[in-house]
Amino acid sequence: MKKACKYAIAAVIIAFLVYYSVYFENLEDIKEQRRKETFSAAEYARDFWDNQLFSVLDKAVDVQKLIELFNTDMNEAIKKYGKAPGVSRVFAYLIKGNGTILTIAEDFLEVSIREPQTNPDIKITTGLYIPGNAVRDASGLVDVSDFSDTMKFNEISSEINKIVVKEVIRPFLDKKPQAGNTIRFFGATQVSQDATGAKEYQLVDVVPIRLELE
Amino acid sequence: MARKLFLFIIAVLVLTLFTFECKRKRPEQVGDGKPKSKKKIAVVISTLNNPWFVVLGNTAKDRAEQLGYQATIFDSQNDTAKESDHFDNTIAGGYTAILFNPTDADGSIANVRKAKEANIPTFCIDREINSNDVAVTQILSDNYTGCVEIGQYFVKKMNKKGRYVELLGILGDNNTWNRSKGFHSVVDNYPELKMVAQQTAEFDRTKAMEVLESILQANPEIDAVFCGNDAMAMGAYQALVAAGKADKVMVFGFDGAKDVIDSIHDGKIIATGMQFPRKMARMAAEQADEYIKGRRDFPQKVPVAVELVTQENIDKYTAYGRQSEH
Repeated sequence: MKKACKYAIAAVIIAFLVYYSVYFENLEDIKEQRRKETFSAAEYARDFWDNQLFSVLDKAVDVQKLIELFNTDMNEAIKKYGKAPGVSRVFAYLIKGNGTILTIAEDFLEVSIREPQTNPDIKITTGLYIPGNAVRDASGLVDVSDFSDTMKFNEISSEINKIVVKEVIRPFLDKKPQAGNTIRFFGATQVSQDATGAKEYQLVDVVPIRLELE
Repeated sequence: MARKLFLFIIAVLVLTLFTFECKRKRPEQVGDGKPKSKKKIAVVISTLNNPWFVVLGNTAKDRAEQLGYQATIFDSQNDTAKESDHFDNTIAGGYTAILFNPTDADGSIANVRKAKEANIPTFCIDREINSNDVAVTQILSDNYTGCVEIGQYFVKKMNKKGRYVELLGILGDNNTWNRSKGFHSVVDNYPELKMVAQQTAEFDRTKAMEVLESILQANPEIDAVFCGNDAMAMGAYQALVAAGKADKVMVFGFDGAKDVIDSIHDGKIIATGMQFPRKMARMAAEQADEYIKGRRDFPQKVPVAVELVTQENIDKYTAYGRQSEH
């Protein structure tokens, strides 16, 4: 009995020493912490822009065809070309086209894409900041489920929009575009499914991905 | 003697383990293996001290019951310790699934993990946890994008200039920052829009009233208040009424709660972001049902779009959703 007590006391002392010498952390928590520390939305956006986005531009739909489809069969437009990261009435589309600049406003160009070139069909954003997720979502390349928190997903969009301003809009504005110039573009737009056949689909807002004077 | 003691200790250990194992078994698995009662779903809600979350919880419970489950709501009172107790109780109580509105994006992860280790699937609703491998799925309001829209509308209504206050929600909740950052991603591009104060009112109506009253003493001349939820928007509006400034200061909220929808109708509040608590809660209950029936391929995160509600489009909306939802 005396021996057993000795063993028990020794075991308690050892347990005490081990308990205060070693601590355990969940491996998943550590991995998560490392991911948090190393994630850079700017780097992700850079890689997206340089290495991924251009590989999907060949899937861009002609904007004139898309606007016609909005006004005749919105469900078909969504099914064939629309993308949304979750549950939404707003869908993003990757588009392309060419047209004639009708007016140059502070933050956008009004562009006609069909004859007669008297009324604007699209507004191309040329402001020096871009809100929203048009490019990220239209690409279909970024999956929200890949991120432990959605803020990273949102920051990516913000960084992509900065690249658009710096590398698409500014160089384009430096060429001093004028009303009457013809342009060629790839871009992204977000359109609500609600008002099928309404006039609002006659003027789609476009975030440019490529924008060139012809 | 020592051998007897040793055998005694072993016997105690075996009995203890046996008792624990019996406790872990779920009621429906006890006996002949046939279900003896309805399967149970727990609805753990961050707080029931806000009507929006009451709608979220009740809808989840109702939908689970419609699907044939016995559902119980647990109120965490915005306290992760209470939330942890609820998870312990659901694990010990033989629940089959948890529909979960977390209190804290980081602090709630351990609770979901605990449930996962006990083989109880968790389905997050509205609020997010900062992990993508412990919950089965997370059905989340797209707060950031919703607040980008509110930010754009704010800039338009303010005509790109003026002084404003921001009331933040709970600081540990991702929704607070997703909303704030979405709003500022737009508004901060206009240098003539000056934020004179930014303080937390913890998503609480009474705190919002008190915080804004205090801010108004130091900054009596403001043009707008952006609030991270509708409860705070109502509190802010009350403070402005008390200060005689309700007609001059624009209030913007976020949620789509009944009193704010009514107030937008009445021209008292300018705009809010409509989240869809009923839609999200129903989705969570239905997905839990699908999981129990064998489905496993759930996307980890499902953002649900938030829609801008203003005095111009208020007729399309009702409290907590669209008119067309009914």
